[in-house]
Amino acid sequence: MRGIGVNISKVDALDKVLGASRYGGDLSIPDLIHLKVVRSTVPHAKIIGIETGEALKVKGVEKIFTAKDIPGKNRIGVIQKDQPVLASDRVRYVGEPIALIAAKTIEGAEEACQKVKVMYEEFPFIKTPEEALQPFAPTIHEKGNLLIEFNLIKGDVQIGFKEAEVIIEKTYTTTWVDHAYLEPDGGIAFWDEEERLTVLCPTQNVHYDQREVASFLDLPLEKVRIIQPTTGGAFGGRLDITIQCFLALAAFHLKRPVRLVYTREEVFQVISKRHPLKIHYRSGARKDGRLSAVEVDILGDTGAYASYGSTVAIRAAVHATGPYQVPHVRVRSRMAYTNNPWSGAMRGFGVPQIAFAHESQMDLLAQALKMDPLEIRKINALQVGSETATGQVLIASVGIHKTLDKIEEWKNKILPYRLDSKRPFVRRGIGIGSMWYGIGNTGIANPSTAQIELSPEGEIKLYIGVADIGQGSDTALLQIASEGLGVELNEIQLIRADTSATTDAGATSASRQTYITGNAILKAIENLKREILKEASSLLNEEEGDLFVEEGFVKHRQKFCLALPIREVARRTRRTIRGEGYFDPETTRLDPKTGQGNPYATYAFATHLAEVEVDIETGKVRVLRIIATHDVGRAIHPKNVIGQIIGGVAMGVGFALMEEYIPGKTISFVNYLIPTSKDVPEIIPILIEDREPSGPFGAKGVGEPALIPSAPAILNAIADAIGERIYDLPANLERVLEAVQKSKQH
Amino acid sequence: MMPSFDYKIPKTLEEACNFLWQYGERAKVIAGGTDLVISLRNGLLRPEILIDITNLPELRRIEEREGWVYIGGAVTHSEIASSSMIHTYGRILSQATFQIGSPQIRNVGTIGGNIVNASPAADTLPPLMVLEATANIVSKEGEKEIPVGSLFKGPYKSTLQPHEILVSISFKKLPPYMKGSFIRLARREGMAIPRMSVAVILQREGDWIEDVRISVGAVTPIPNRMKEAESFLRHQRFDLNLLKMAAQKVSSEMVSKSGIRSSTSYKKPVVEVLVERAIRQAFESTE
Repeated sequence: MRGIGVNISKVDALDKVLGASRYGGDLSIPDLIHLKVVRSTVPHAKIIGIETGEALKVKGVEKIFTAKDIPGKNRIGVIQKDQPVLASDRVRYVGEPIALIAAKTIEGAEEACQKVKVMYEEFPFIKTPEEALQPFAPTIHEKGNLLIEFNLIKGDVQIGFKEAEVIIEKTYTTTWVDHAYLEPDGGIAFWDEEERLTVLCPTQNVHYDQREVASFLDLPLEKVRIIQPTTGGAFGGRLDITIQCFLALAAFHLKRPVRLVYTREEVFQVISKRHPLKIHYRSGARKDGRLSAVEVDILGDTGAYASYGSTVAIRAAVHATGPYQVPHVRVRSRMAYTNNPWSGAMRGFGVPQIAFAHESQMDLLAQALKMDPLEIRKINALQVGSETATGQVLIASVGIHKTLDKIEEWKNKILPYRLDSKRPFVRRGIGIGSMWYGIGNTGIANPSTAQIELSPEGEIKLYIGVADIGQGSDTALLQIASEGLGVELNEIQLIRADTSATTDAGATSASRQTYITGNAILKAIENLKREILKEASSLLNEEEGDLFVEEGFVKHRQKFCLALPIREVARRTRRTIRGEGYFDPETTRLDPKTGQGNPYATYAFATHLAEVEVDIETGKVRVLRIIATHDVGRAIHPKNVIGQIIGGVAMGVGFALMEEYIPGKTISFVNYLIPTSKDVPEIIPILIEDREPSGPFGAKGVGEPALIPSAPAILNAIADAIGERIYDLPANLERVLEAVQKSKQH
Repeated sequence: MMPSFDYKIPKTLEEACNFLWQYGERAKVIAGGTDLVISLRNGLLRPEILIDITNLPELRRIEEREGWVYIGGAVTHSEIASSSMIHTYGRILSQATFQIGSPQIRNVGTIGGNIVNASPAADTLPPLMVLEATANIVSKEGEKEIPVGSLFKGPYKSTLQPHEILVSISFKKLPPYMKGSFIRLARREGMAIPRMSVAVILQREGDWIEDVRISVGAVTPIPNRMKEAESFLRHQRFDLNLLKMAAQKVSSEMVSKSGIRSSTSYKKPVVEVLVERAIRQAFESTE
């Protein structure tokens, strides 16, 4: 099978349904040493001492590692390297790693873990970003508690607000959300036959891990090998270092294979969370509905460490207007350190939070202008030629209007709700949520590379550094390769996400792999074809310019009967023919003062319509249906895209109604609720393919866009149902009931 | 980390009683294990021995004897939810067990476990309270029958002695003129502990409430009957005002038993609404 837009079965599906796939926790080697992490029990303190004497006496304990045992740099971090792998002098959150136990049995490791004594001198701790930014607040990091302040300035908001007929000013808050990926982090490490320190564990970026582990152990890069086993979800939680450095440190010293598997409780306690944002939003619109000004102040909680805090601050600011044209924009976006769990990447990098705010504002403006919510969006939606808040002029593939048109068709079919006499306490509402999402990293280089090889034995091999975390990049990228080369998909062997065999593809994040690595693969194929033609030209004694590759054959422009299989070219030349590809999307750096520039080469667009039912006496919300329209450029594998949308909607329902990580209280799935199959509404995914000229076969990305519009649509639907708006997520039973009570007061 | 323990699977009730007599507090009874295993893993319980009672025939039956329905302590929620006998004579219990946790939990979790775990939010307790169920307990010392309601001394604390086994729960077959209703409110539709649940059994005579029994789950430390509201409603002509006043009696009983908490501002109005709905549903029931 092959083809673009064809639903071939996912290449990893059979192994998964047969239970043959090996996830991190499934990996085992004889004579493993088991690891367990000793963690801080206080949020902010100086470490006075670590006593390991009692713990070392526990049967089977081999060694207890502390920061002193780290040969290289004890500092990691994707952007700012401010996070120790093992805290040496200070802890900044509850759960911070302090020591690493290595023992012959898991039980021994766990017992020893209880017996390590850490002596602290406790410091006052900071619970909110507001507190963190107070003058004389205790400092969490030497450079101060402000991680970043990013400003975006376009036009003059003063002028914009003067032109406004209506101005809406509100404050929105969101809280910590866990990725809730299915597979807890687990893996193994060992020295391989070639004396490379090898780590296998779930990850979204093997080459980043390799750099961090090498610097941490002070090893040359080529002495560290990272392999990504089958991975059960990630959603951004595996972009930072999770267990890689622990595994590597123990294997490095013990010279024996080691294994570490987190419990679900550990995953909840120590893996990054979605940044809680407080968003103060002021926007104005003219009489005709056109937005005249948007002014936003964002303050986020990055927790104890930087991780992706800057990325989230910048991305939230860049997307703050929503997918609309606004002449005057001013955004200030800040992230502050606190002693809360550290926040990091999670599906959308701040855009799900800001979309909740901008879409609530759009409905409020519409209401103030007595306009239909769909109408005001249509009036303002971006189109080809529009200028974004960063001053970027969009040149193609701006499908937001098409998503709105589709939603309008569906909206017109929904009949007005008549009160049910048997359930007079039920109100229905519908709501719309739109979004835009820049594909790839924001205003910085984020290239990918790929190689494709044709061996004399006739094998075709595709090498990519891409981690498939379950979303289906293996299949989609193979589809791109097979179509590009003109061979069947199963004729291509895929070698991926192993640093010893593949080159850097960047992270599986920012909805970027289909677009960026897809393009790198097409470049590699172009170069491979050129090499093939060179070889074929000398083999056939034909002018290179007369030859071309089509459907896996070398053909001649005039001699129609000439058709040499490309494999035959490699066989006859008796050497491997190779093509290398590189792609970096065309972006410009954002101006540090005004945030102006072209941060992304392309954007995805989407609109969801939610129908909800609210029990006005209990606050219980049921989402009945979500119509999800997505402009994806081109769906390489439509079913996979639809799968992403359905998963995204489920996550959006959770973000809207129930997901809330409470530091110190949330333990596991027992008190962290995510939607079950019974909570997920009927979902109608609609694909809009407004081709992106720079994308592989026109494709953009969908991974994060899938989630973003659901919560705003649901919150707008709740407001429609009860006549009062909720400004804080999640809209749980208590908040909904409180809003109902408020609505009765006016 | 799961502590190590010995595991016995007695074949007769007598054997089980002997084990418990011998080990006392060092033993724990296991049936479905849906609560117990979590406590073992968290290190909250460290028994020396687990006595698996799921092979005891007396604990695995649903049967009818002399106008009473008997449900063995190790009968699973799924078995109860699909029993036509319970559907006919104690439908309210079928409804409650059908909504517990998830299919996986219902397939292994048992009614006996749900009772002796003594969670204030246990799903089967409000129905059992209004069915006026009896707990049939056996030990080396003999047999005894006590009302289910007297099995509790506090949240997660039952009065069952370490050497005792809850063999079965029994209740008088509900006559067709006694109508029941069960309402459960949770933060999500599956796999959720109820925020509140209300069980009502009601006998109607024309426009009059002849008799009514009300129990509300997850609002008081131990399961209760809402006696004040019950006697207020008994022999009264049904109307919505009356209902409202009865519901207020329930909410003030909740506040007096549990005190004012941060959750009270939500729970008070909502428990009233749920009680009103449950009573109305039972009153209007034609099934």
